[in-house]
Amino acid sequence: MRFQRVVQFISFISFIVLLWLAAFPLVSPVPVDVFLGLDPVIFWGTALSTRSFASLIWFSLIVLAFTVFIGRFFCSTICPMGATIDFTDRLIRSKQKKTVQQPTHAKSLKYLKYQLLLVILGSALMGVSLVFIASPISLITHFYGLIIHPALCLIADKLLIIARPVADYFDITSLSYAQIAVPNFALQWFSAILFVLIFACAVWTPRFWCRYLCPSGAIFALFSVNPFWKRQVSEECIQCGRCQKHCPMSAIGEHPFETEHSECIVCETCVKVCPVNAVSFTCTGFKKTTLSPAFSKSRRKFIWAGASGVGAGIVSLTDMKSFHQDSAIAKIIPPELIRPPGALPEKDFLARCVRCGECMKACPSNTLQPIGLAAGFSAFFSPKITPGRGPCESLCNVCGHVCPTGAIRPLPVEEKIWAKMGTAHILKHKCLAWEFNKKCMVCDEVCPYNAIEFKVTPGSSVAVPFINESKCSGCGFCEHFCPVHANAAIMVEPMGALRIEQGSHREKAKQMGLSLQIKKARDEAPEAYPLPEYDGQGLPPGFTE
Amino acid sequence: MKINSSPDSKWKESRLNRREFLKTQLKGAMWMAAGASGILMPKPVIASALPDVGVAKGAPGPATRAVVELIGGMKTFVKKGSRVVIKPNMSFNHTPEEATTTHPEVVKELVAMCLEAGASRVRVLDNPFTQTLAAKNTEKVCSVIKKGMVHAIVDSSFYKPVEITTGRKFKNTDVMQDVLEADVLIAAPVAKSHSSTGVSLSIKGMMGLIWDRETMHRDYDLSQAIVDLSSLLKPQLAIVDATRVLTTNGPFGPGKVVKMDTVVASGDMVAADAKTVQMCKWYGRRFAPRQIKHIRYAHEQGLGRMDIENLSVKRIDV
Repeated sequence: MRFQRVVQFISFISFIVLLWLAAFPLVSPVPVDVFLGLDPVIFWGTALSTRSFASLIWFSLIVLAFTVFIGRFFCSTICPMGATIDFTDRLIRSKQKKTVQQPTHAKSLKYLKYQLLLVILGSALMGVSLVFIASPISLITHFYGLIIHPALCLIADKLLIIARPVADYFDITSLSYAQIAVPNFALQWFSAILFVLIFACAVWTPRFWCRYLCPSGAIFALFSVNPFWKRQVSEECIQCGRCQKHCPMSAIGEHPFETEHSECIVCETCVKVCPVNAVSFTCTGFKKTTLSPAFSKSRRKFIWAGASGVGAGIVSLTDMKSFHQDSAIAKIIPPELIRPPGALPEKDFLARCVRCGECMKACPSNTLQPIGLAAGFSAFFSPKITPGRGPCESLCNVCGHVCPTGAIRPLPVEEKIWAKMGTAHILKHKCLAWEFNKKCMVCDEVCPYNAIEFKVTPGSSVAVPFINESKCSGCGFCEHFCPVHANAAIMVEPMGALRIEQGSHREKAKQMGLSLQIKKARDEAPEAYPLPEYDGQGLPPGFTE
Repeated sequence: MKINSSPDSKWKESRLNRREFLKTQLKGAMWMAAGASGILMPKPVIASALPDVGVAKGAPGPATRAVVELIGGMKTFVKKGSRVVIKPNMSFNHTPEEATTTHPEVVKELVAMCLEAGASRVRVLDNPFTQTLAAKNTEKVCSVIKKGMVHAIVDSSFYKPVEITTGRKFKNTDVMQDVLEADVLIAAPVAKSHSSTGVSLSIKGMMGLIWDRETMHRDYDLSQAIVDLSSLLKPQLAIVDATRVLTTNGPFGPGKVVKMDTVVASGDMVAADAKTVQMCKWYGRRFAPRQIKHIRYAHEQGLGRMDIENLSVKRIDV
């Protein structure tokens, strides 16, 4: 097996293991978002849209430095998108002839990735991040985290159900009582079709994505126009053309001596297929032996691409849902847009969020879900709390710790508790206690913050719930467990969310008069809970005469 | 309407077996059966050496053992080869001190006694919606005896539809399959107040064995639904952990926790609950069992007796 394949395999497995470890509690010895940190388009796009290098992982710079010397090794060895595409290419193309002629459209299609890159950078210049539309590591994290992971959970769950009677018979309780929570995600069909399309492009050429679309590939290409270590062809070449036919990136020119290094991903397929061992990769210094890179010929196209990026930024900024304007934001945000705890102020949040879905994969209660277009295109697929699906676990802070760009702050638990996400309010006309005189107090029972109080009011025969807004964190336990069906009779809205770029949530919340604490009887002595005054006036809740 | 007939018939079958078993007992040892099946008897048997309700004072573990011995020993309830389900309250991420969940030592002692009595299978089950600290703690404590008995069942595939033929209003639900297949059901709640139902004890605790309890809040009179459910899931033995009692602001707390060091036991779940209500001060006041709607309903429907004054109660200090 070739060295490249070995490295690619190890890298891919590392990616999968790290993604699997992106869960609560976070136990990984290395940051689980390392691969996202290697993606140059995430780095440059985010740095440009936020005008800051803060919270970014600098590994991609190391990769770029290496690229100058050894070319686009990232694409053939490290990139999990590349590994996946190599695999799906093999599946899809197995029936076809292994070799392909250079398609005639190839030359112009190669520009696409540069154009895509310029669209992303152009809009980043306007402060709008479109990194998510084509960042390869974001997309592949999304694919494995939100498509493959739930699918495997589902299959495992079904297998467990089948295995249960057998396990029970042999009294293997660890198996017979094993329960797998299958995560569900919004926009699942969209995601599935998107990835089917990306992988199905194999019917035209291998590594279609890498050749024509990948903006990170474009950045690597710019850094590997003439690398130190590169493909060389010796005089023994018999010009059989096999290398040209087998090159997955079609980086070999009309003559086998010619190599377009900016397209070459140093997979060394050409070395392997050469019948006379004429091809080798060697250090030649920066001596030119190459085809001139594709992009220099069409300055015009690139000016257009950059301009269209700026245009995309402007369109985003003039969108009604834009958070980049300050006017009347509070009135137009969709009421379901409850951001994860510790999310930056919306504008900064969107400038950083790359929609990789790592937070959604890691969320233990599956409450983090991608939104569609409710908050505008520039917020597409960003995470929101969905109390209907699950509540935000009080003592979990994992989303901030797996976020590769700091869109969600990595808060310690004691800070996270104070990171108010929104505020619950009661829909009295649906509430079983308020409207139907039923003795329901589920919201009070489940509230981890003790923010709900039941009181007997004039006109109500049963105790009815009231919310103490200063104690409410917006975690959604009440909404999730409310027995009233869609919508629940108590719902969380983003109002009052505490979103700060820096500093302590705890201090800020206290300044604002909030008191967000997890209720625990053991924290205080029993005397701290004086007996309610029910004497003669009425009965304690739940008791009858 | 029947959704699925097979689990239902299984349930009936297992109930029938129990009934037959009790009949044999009646023939064989009259005094023993009287103690064990107080629920079936219209009046307490005066001649019985065994009390209807036992009350033991002491540490959680020893008091549990003592109180079960007091009312006839575990062998009265659990026969050799029985399949037992114990239903403690493991609802929250709370420690025992918060008095919202059953003390693990109580559960451990029950498990030990069931195994000593020859139970072939013991399961400790609850549906707390998520994996809770209480469930983990209970598993940890019980694993000293045997691993893998304690489970928080939060996956719907473990539940099977059944008809509550004896229910007045609440007539269909999904119950844990283990419970449907069990020969003996033991309720082991913690004693605590409950802002909807006054108190949450053995009868109310049966809500933790079904899949959809929201419907009980939403679509029925909760107290009636609880009683209907307990007519299907009627524990043969009720052990109320009143070692610490959450006397206010239940079920979640935080509230006033009173240390009572007491465990109450009875073969009659209604009597066990009634005794617990009577002996504690709730919100600083004394209440009669009839002031808890679901206890009153259960009594009226003949599921057990809340008239503690007419029952024999025996105490022991350990």
